[in-house]
Amino acid sequence: MLIPPNQIRISLINAPEFNLEYLWWLTILFFVLAVIYFIGVFVIRNKISSKNKRTKNKKVEFSPMINEFLFYDDSNTKEEKMNYLNLKIQIRELIKNDFDRKVLTEVLLDLRKDLSGNSQKVLIDLYKDLGLHHDAFQKLGSFRWQVVSRGIQQLTTMEVEDAYGLVIKFINHRQSTIRKQAEIAVVNLKEEGIKYFLDNTRYKIAEWQQLKLLDVLRHKPNYTPPQFGLWLTSDNTHVVLFALRLIKYFKQNDAEQSIITLLKHKKRDIQAEAIQCIIDFHFTNAILTLKLVYKKASHDIKLSILDAIGELGTIAEVPFLENLQLTERKFHIKNKVISTLNKIDPERILPTKNIETSEFYNVYFDENDQALVNEFAEDDEETYVENTTDEIATEVEMDSETLEEIDEPITTVDHLNTDNQTEIINEDVLVDEALTAETDFINVALDDALPKKETNVISSTAGLDLSFLPHIENEKTMEEVVENSLDDNNSKAEISSEDDVEQSVEDEEFSFHFLPVVVDEISTKNEIPTFEEDDFEPLFLLNETAVLDEGKENEMENSNEDSKSTIAEIDWSSVNNAANDDNEIVVTDANAIEEMISFKNNHISFSPNFISQKELDAMVLLENIHEMGDSRELELLHDIIEENSSEIVTERANQIIQKFSYQSLRPSELFSEEKGFGDSVFTDIYHRADYETKLMLLDEIMNVGTTKEIQLLENIIESESNELVDKATEVLSFIKSNSNNKLPETFLEQDSIFSVDFELDLNEAAKQNSLDSNENGSTLFDQLCNMSNSLYNKLNG
Amino acid sequence: MGNRVLLADDDQLLASLLNFRLKKGGYQVHHSSNGKEVKEYLQNEMPDIIVSDIMMPYCSGIELIDYVRNELKSKTPIIIISSAGNEQNVLTAFELGANDFITKPVSPTELLVRIAREINK
Repeated sequence: MLIPPNQIRISLINAPEFNLEYLWWLTILFFVLAVIYFIGVFVIRNKISSKNKRTKNKKVEFSPMINEFLFYDDSNTKEEKMNYLNLKIQIRELIKNDFDRKVLTEVLLDLRKDLSGNSQKVLIDLYKDLGLHHDAFQKLGSFRWQVVSRGIQQLTTMEVEDAYGLVIKFINHRQSTIRKQAEIAVVNLKEEGIKYFLDNTRYKIAEWQQLKLLDVLRHKPNYTPPQFGLWLTSDNTHVVLFALRLIKYFKQNDAEQSIITLLKHKKRDIQAEAIQCIIDFHFTNAILTLKLVYKKASHDIKLSILDAIGELGTIAEVPFLENLQLTERKFHIKNKVISTLNKIDPERILPTKNIETSEFYNVYFDENDQALVNEFAEDDEETYVENTTDEIATEVEMDSETLEEIDEPITTVDHLNTDNQTEIINEDVLVDEALTAETDFINVALDDALPKKETNVISSTAGLDLSFLPHIENEKTMEEVVENSLDDNNSKAEISSEDDVEQSVEDEEFSFHFLPVVVDEISTKNEIPTFEEDDFEPLFLLNETAVLDEGKENEMENSNEDSKSTIAEIDWSSVNNAANDDNEIVVTDANAIEEMISFKNNHISFSPNFISQKELDAMVLLENIHEMGDSRELELLHDIIEENSSEIVTERANQIIQKFSYQSLRPSELFSEEKGFGDSVFTDIYHRADYETKLMLLDEIMNVGTTKEIQLLENIIESESNELVDKATEVLSFIKSNSNNKLPETFLEQDSIFSVDFELDLNEAAKQNSLDSNENGSTLFDQLCNMSNSLYNKLNG
Repeated sequence: MGNRVLLADDDQLLASLLNFRLKKGGYQVHHSSNGKEVKEYLQNEMPDIIVSDIMMPYCSGIELIDYVRNELKSKTPIIIISSAGNEQNVLTAFELGANDFITKPVSPTELLVRIAREINK
């Protein structure tokens, strides 16, 4: 319900009572203040304008005077000289007035900025001559920092050297403006000012201030900078930083160790500047320290360090960088590491991100096109084989410069005329062949006793790829080996990488002694070393990936050392004399079967000499016999000689026969208990075999076993499980029955000492098989080989 | 009578100094302190050479070059004096037809030599 206004007696809000007379007084007061303000502004403005106008007029008044002074020369006329003297008197009178002096000073300072050359010099002299610098000196004593600063600036601009002693005390002034102005003045006024400044300043030197100081030094005519490296030991880190920048600018590289030490400084700026100096001056000694500080450096310093390593580093830094690549987590640093790696070793790391797999680009053909594709594929394969063969043949090329030097050292050696061995090596690489007979080696050696020129020539063959030649023993110096492997269908050359080579040197050994390597007639009459045949014996396994046992490896190493020691004794003079004039040397087989190494037209080429599969099989068999066989294989060796017409095979077989003939024991010795030949050859294998193998072994014993296996079978029957016992019993009975039938023949054979077919005749069927295939040989050795193959195949699926 | 030189510079002190030196060098100098005066002068009279600052009131030195070369179609030598000697200014001045460019601080003696060379071309 609303209450009518007329019924309200007490108002809630009362207006304050105000005396109107005060209002008028206040109005008048504000009006007066406004008038005073405007009058003040008007007066001050007029005063400034008047002053400016007066100043301008004074400048106009001074200008012709100054012009007269600036362009006065002695060639002027007498009137001009009189005028000049009058002006000088006049201006001296004028500057007695403070305002006039101030204006004149301003004029001169303005003109100083616009003038150069001789006019500037005259202007400065005029300033000093009129004594205007005394005003500046007075300003230095002012309590107002801006006045002091202006006084210092004025003295600096007018190059008043007398002010140097007054200004240096402001170097460590607490007011930064005065301090900065004083720093510039000190550096500007005298050449040694920079030394005083760097020695005494205790305050921070701002970046902008450093630039200004550097600018001052840069524009000093005929300035000889001091050794700024002296201030790298300053307690003021800003001085150290500034000194580093000055060192870099003035290219003073006489403080290498100090700069390298500053890499370990706590201040990043100093670290960064030191790194820049190291890069600029190419201090390669800093690399170790750079690596050292990298780990605890900040991100920007890490980037700088990587830059430095990229500039200064060599391939030796690659492992460090590769480690960083694995450990760095920061994206940008990791990228920098990769770029540094590629900088040191171009294209070491290829792009991997967002790269499609090769399958992505595979093109699928329909059935009609498939035949065409296959045809192309076959062509490519053939081409590949041809190319690889060509590559091997022409892989090593010597430049003409090298071959000019090689005239004399390259020699032709015919080992057939001598019993010596020659070996092709350089100072570091030894190439050996595993032929047992002395006449089977062809070694051309270059020793240290050679004349220096010749030695250099041979050293140049370090770049030659001799890897298709037999095993290279020295791992340290061997850089690359080309591994030739012959597959079932055709010869195929395979070039292994350096990493693979190391593995292959440890695990594999290649014998290329079946290759015909014979040189033309050369007289290597004396001092060509001979090697023990066993030192170079190759090792062949059935799967062509022979594993070199440790003893053999040691043997090979020893032989290598021996070879090196004997190489030094080679008399190369005779070899050199034998070199033909055409600079062409061909190293061939004794029967000139195939050319293997040729030196033609300033190029050395090596071509592989592959033999037929049949010969290869025979050689493999011969090597296995040589390695594991004994005199019992003599008949098989004779059979191999009859079967094969190849001279290589025949020669090798004869060597083995010769060896076994001299090594073979008398039958009484052979079957004595001490030698163990009276025991079954299966004994050792049996005890190391698993259950299934034992069963297979018993089957084999049944096929090829003799009475020597009886003891083994009896032991089996006594000690083994039922199934083996049953099998052994069966085999035992079978052998006993066979032995009863052939016993007289065996006894007859034992009487013959030199007729060694005593065992082979036991099983004619097996003998026949051995001639058909080396995998089904009739001798015990063949059977063992077969078993080994079977086991191997079984284990490897 | 010497060659006529138009000196266009708003800096009174430098202009006075150069004026004095040029007159002492035998030239007839007309000084204008802004671009407007320069244009008015050029409409009535064409000097033998123009020496101009770049930064002037009403009309900059670059505009003055353009005016002389493209509107007045005059081949009068023009020497530019400027403290703003950055590359852009220099290139622009030469592209528009300036004959020479001098950066402050300037040596009056050098200026005389350059003027004489341009006039005698």
